[in-house]
Amino acid sequence: MIDDTARMTIAAARRLGDGEACFVGIGLPSLAALVALHTHAPGMSLIYESGAYGADPAVLPMSTGSPSVATGAACLGDCTLVFGELQAGRIDVGVLSAAQVDRRGNLNSTVIGEYRTPKVRMVGSGGAHDIAALVGRLVIVMPHDPRRFVQRVDFVTAPGLGEDGSRPPGTRGAGPVDLLTPRAWFTFEAGEMTLAGVQPGMDTATAVEGFSWKVPHADQVVELAPPTGEELAALQRWHAMEGTT
Amino acid sequence: MTTSSVASTKLTSLERCAAEHVADGDTVFLGGFGHAVPFALGHQLIRAGRRGLTICRSGADILADQLIAAGCVDKVVFGWIGNPDIGLSHSFRRAVADGSIEWEEWTNWSMVLRLQAAAMGVPFLPGRVLLAGDIPGRLPDLKTVTCPYTGETLAAVPALQPDVAIVHAQRADEEGNTQLWGVVGDTAVGALAARRIVVTVEELVAGEVIRSSPNLTVIPGHRVTAVAVVPWGAHPSYVEGYYTRHDDHFRYYGDVSRTAQGTQAHLDRWVRGVDRERYLSMIDTEALATGVRR
Repeated sequence: MIDDTARMTIAAARRLGDGEACFVGIGLPSLAALVALHTHAPGMSLIYESGAYGADPAVLPMSTGSPSVATGAACLGDCTLVFGELQAGRIDVGVLSAAQVDRRGNLNSTVIGEYRTPKVRMVGSGGAHDIAALVGRLVIVMPHDPRRFVQRVDFVTAPGLGEDGSRPPGTRGAGPVDLLTPRAWFTFEAGEMTLAGVQPGMDTATAVEGFSWKVPHADQVVELAPPTGEELAALQRWHAMEGTT
Repeated sequence: MTTSSVASTKLTSLERCAAEHVADGDTVFLGGFGHAVPFALGHQLIRAGRRGLTICRSGADILADQLIAAGCVDKVVFGWIGNPDIGLSHSFRRAVADGSIEWEEWTNWSMVLRLQAAAMGVPFLPGRVLLAGDIPGRLPDLKTVTCPYTGETLAAVPALQPDVAIVHAQRADEEGNTQLWGVVGDTAVGALAARRIVVTVEELVAGEVIRSSPNLTVIPGHRVTAVAVVPWGAHPSYVEGYYTRHDDHFRYYGDVSRTAQGTQAHLDRWVRGVDRERYLSMIDTEALATGVRR
């Protein structure tokens, strides 16, 4: 079955390279990384903020500290080990999702509305700010929900690009590079979210349907290859699994 | 179990840990990075009626939510607060909405740096985070520092020294030497950052057992104020080698905590007026230990 989750996570998985060190969050980012690990990137080192380096969870973990994150990991250090590696610039790629993303690739997981009097008070950064500020490059995976795609996020939890399209001072790495949704693939090479590809059978208007601004197109907008049987089989192993520890 | 003839002054009960070693108004580090979260001792703080606490940790889960709901907390200092993979910390959300709580939010790495600085006895550690985005703007006391060697601008992440750390672990001896393995996260550094350390463990073991594998000791007994034997003391989180994570309990709490009434009913049922014997009778310990116990 090719559903929205399959489309966005498999497309995100393809942006991760074999042999890379990959720092991930819980949920869709973990799913994308696990698909990569069990298809084209068996040599990828999967890293969780709890201290696991080279993790290979047998189930989709509910928490970065879940038993499955520890069991079978190549190395179980502490937070300082993994965040230290991150801060030292030795983690190639991160995968994150968030409640909101904006055209500069800034992510918001803190508040919807005003900071002190929010409409929705959310979970805050966790490791998201740290990953976005420090990782070599960032892959973002988001459901296609136009309310979550905005010109300026209500709160920049995890910094992407500044208003001039460049990385803000004090950050390392390239920042956001790829953004995958069930409809589209966006890149940020031009300094802002740019439509670079569409999911199979999708047209460019549908890819950005409901967005509040005109998203620029790359010179060539490609159509992504459909998920392979191998990718779907890998996804099926975790997808819809009741996250049992 | 140990048969040491030396009377320990550190070995005590769960009740006395909360009554004698955590005071109203304390800044309390909550141990447990998803693993070995000190739920039993946290719940005892609720039963003891602690007030005015500042609770702190990097990733705060539903124990923090419950302490907030119970009225124990004036302020929360965190990198993340929620119910992992389930949703929001609804009690925190309500407390923000009604103005009944103060908070200060960092990131997980900067919280670890804060604790590491305190553990190492330095006033701050330089960090390459909190230099962009909107988090630093909400931390009015946060300063930057210019590196005297490279001229780079770094965040001067200030030390955070809790009055007391509450920690759960697999085992300790009567001297308080505490062994924790599996996911340690920031539990060890958070404990060593604190002035006092209060530990609950699954098992008390002889000193020889500890000393046969001292690399597993994350907190030397010299630093431990009190230790109590509290089997299942981390439920509904888990303890590596003892029992697994009770995921359904986190899901269930995610549902009931959506309303203040649901949360209070949960606290009545699972915390207030419930002793450990009763608590353990309410969970399927056999199922949670299956395939896990060493």
